[in-house]
Amino acid sequence: MMDTVGIIMTGDNDARLAELTRVRSVAALPVAGRYRLIDFTLSGMVNSGIVNVGVTTRSNYRSLMDHLGSGKEWDLNRKLYGLRILPPYIRGEEHYSGDMDILRGIREFLAHSKQKYVLIAHGDLLFNPRFEDLQRQHISSGADITVMYNNSLCSPDGVRIELDGCRVTDMEVHPERAEVCSNLLGIFFMEKELLCSQIAHCSGRGLHDFVMDVLVRNVEKMNICGYEYKGFAGRIDSVNAYYRNNMMMLNADVRRELFLSKNFIYTKVKDTVPTYYSSAARVSDSVVADGCRIEGVVENSIIFRGVQIGRGAYIRNSIVMQNSVIEQDAGLDYAVLDKSVTVRKGKRISGQDSFPVIVGKNVTV
Amino acid sequence: MMHSECVAMILAGGQGSRLGALTTTVAKPAVPFGGKYRIIDFPLSNCANSSITTVGVLTQYQPLELNTYIGSGQPWDMDRTNGGVFVLPPFVRGNKGEWYKGTANAIYQNTEFIEQFRPEYVLILSGDHIYKMDYRKMLKYHQQRQADATIAVINVPLAEASRYGIMSADDTGRIYDFTEKPKEPKSTLASMGVYIFRWDILKKYLAMDESNVSSSNDFGKDVIPAMLADGCGMYAYAFDGYWKDVGTVRSLWEANMDMLGDNPVFNLRDEAWRIYSRTAGMPPQFISAKSTVTDSCITEGCYVAGEVLHSVIFTGVDIEEDTRIENSIILPYARVRRGAYIKNSVVGEHADIGQDVVIGCEQGNIPRPCSPLCGGGITLVGKGIKVAAGARVQSGVMLDFDVEPSEVGKLQV
Repeated sequence: MMDTVGIIMTGDNDARLAELTRVRSVAALPVAGRYRLIDFTLSGMVNSGIVNVGVTTRSNYRSLMDHLGSGKEWDLNRKLYGLRILPPYIRGEEHYSGDMDILRGIREFLAHSKQKYVLIAHGDLLFNPRFEDLQRQHISSGADITVMYNNSLCSPDGVRIELDGCRVTDMEVHPERAEVCSNLLGIFFMEKELLCSQIAHCSGRGLHDFVMDVLVRNVEKMNICGYEYKGFAGRIDSVNAYYRNNMMMLNADVRRELFLSKNFIYTKVKDTVPTYYSSAARVSDSVVADGCRIEGVVENSIIFRGVQIGRGAYIRNSIVMQNSVIEQDAGLDYAVLDKSVTVRKGKRISGQDSFPVIVGKNVTV
Repeated sequence: MMHSECVAMILAGGQGSRLGALTTTVAKPAVPFGGKYRIIDFPLSNCANSSITTVGVLTQYQPLELNTYIGSGQPWDMDRTNGGVFVLPPFVRGNKGEWYKGTANAIYQNTEFIEQFRPEYVLILSGDHIYKMDYRKMLKYHQQRQADATIAVINVPLAEASRYGIMSADDTGRIYDFTEKPKEPKSTLASMGVYIFRWDILKKYLAMDESNVSSSNDFGKDVIPAMLADGCGMYAYAFDGYWKDVGTVRSLWEANMDMLGDNPVFNLRDEAWRIYSRTAGMPPQFISAKSTVTDSCITEGCYVAGEVLHSVIFTGVDIEEDTRIENSIILPYARVRRGAYIKNSVVGEHADIGQDVVIGCEQGNIPRPCSPLCGGGITLVGKGIKVAAGARVQSGVMLDFDVEPSEVGKLQV
């Protein structure tokens, strides 16, 4: 038991994924053939013994709410705590400009949570985490706030940090470097009381951003420690990142770490039939969900639930979401198809590995 | 006070002894089917889709897995405040109790359960048939004829009629003759084991049957003939969809094979009539570059690196490289190791087929005679059976024991 309340903040970085987040928040993005991105963070929290989880939303949260429901599939449909979806709480002319405002909006939820610690995450990571070790380090290091990071290629959308031992000595938002560095993963751990006092402090001083106004501003005043996450963690913060990280599902080691570990990734279960491969089907090196009917060629691709692939059609290096139809002799190469896309007979879509073609939800090609 | 117009009672207490090594530790309705289902999903889903949500499931033989599987009934939309699904094992009353003596006795012993809902009708279903049926249509037929009992019937080939309860009915559908397993069948209308009764009338006949010491307490052998002899209004409701009694290894295998092909004989891909199940929620299947999968069904949790032809691969199965699986069904979480060749077989849950093993060959190489209960050239490897590398298991055999490495190569006696 971690004596921790979990908060998953969603809807923050939707703009960067354009077409894919037109109809849903990043946390609700279909990933890895049958999941939604938030499943990984949520399952990680549940597997770590966190049973009180609030999910904050901004806009476009219908998909997310529909997916999470009462939290039953993550074992969070409880009397005592469980899952709470926390839509925006806005009165009259107010609006949210930053995540500190959102946190201020959930003051009551925080007040009712009797846990000592709080774990903030953003539901945009493809990983399979446990958080107990993070807590252990937080306590033993005496840190005020522990931030989770990994060492990876610097992301211009991220936050680079410098450490001295475990102590964070500097933070740079939107770094402009093209090298491997320590990047924040958007996961923060602290005592709930500290978070509440920071919320109050920021609210009275026009400070709206957690990273800027709580972390960067206090790098020297507070003891902020870094916890290195050594496992696979795909951050979905761009269309390219969405494509790249989903394609990592084809890598046996990544699959093993995410799906064959004792930490199960829970998701909403649908009643779909097994997938049928016809006598003309030629499938290789691909992740395929249930409910599909495959009569064509599929290579190096991720196929979601209920997709139909006609005779003579080919799908290569692509991601095809739920219920899309690829008709006879149609073809995809380096494409990302949203849900319920139809690609008509003989039509071909071709992108590049660095620039996959995105086809939006419900579009017919 | 609770009230349901129709209460369904699913008879799920049987062993299904002809399924042998598949049911030594689990009741027949819990046997896996169709890649990700269990046999009981069919009557349960039919009830849910027919808006019958007060359902009793009568268990007896090895009920543990079945009871856990059913749970609160949520996967079949039966976790309800009013009604819902109830698992009904035999129980002690006062200072005595009995096992269920027969199909009719099982219902009789649960009279109080049914009474709670004050139903007009009771729908009796067996828990071991594969079919999709809208029971509302049968109920409407029953109500229109103001029947005392309606029996769903299906046409079977004359050559097979002696295996079933056969009835003769007139133009209005009224039954005038019913014979269990007749040597000389007078018609080809076979009872499907699906009955709708007026509850007040059924209650009476169950009580009478119970007090008859020479009765075998069976619907087909005792209660229905008694009602017929008394002139009760009994009608035959003709059903013409797919219906399969999966009581033998061969028929279980066949029913699974019926799901394959461009236009399958049995089509589960039916938006209008979904079959629900409690699934593990496993990751999607992975088909490796070294595999070939044709004319087959594969489901969640599978890893496939070999050749799969005309087969049904169930949840969480691991198929390694250089393997070949044809015309077979591989039940959940089984493992097929490198080089193995399986044909015309049923491989049980959690079975472990060793490297280079052949299942279903002409000449085996393991000693000890096995009980050859599989008909029609099908080979069965039982639940949890481990087959050591290099073993060759002869076609038709029912393997209900592990094959140790030391026994491989010694010829069959």
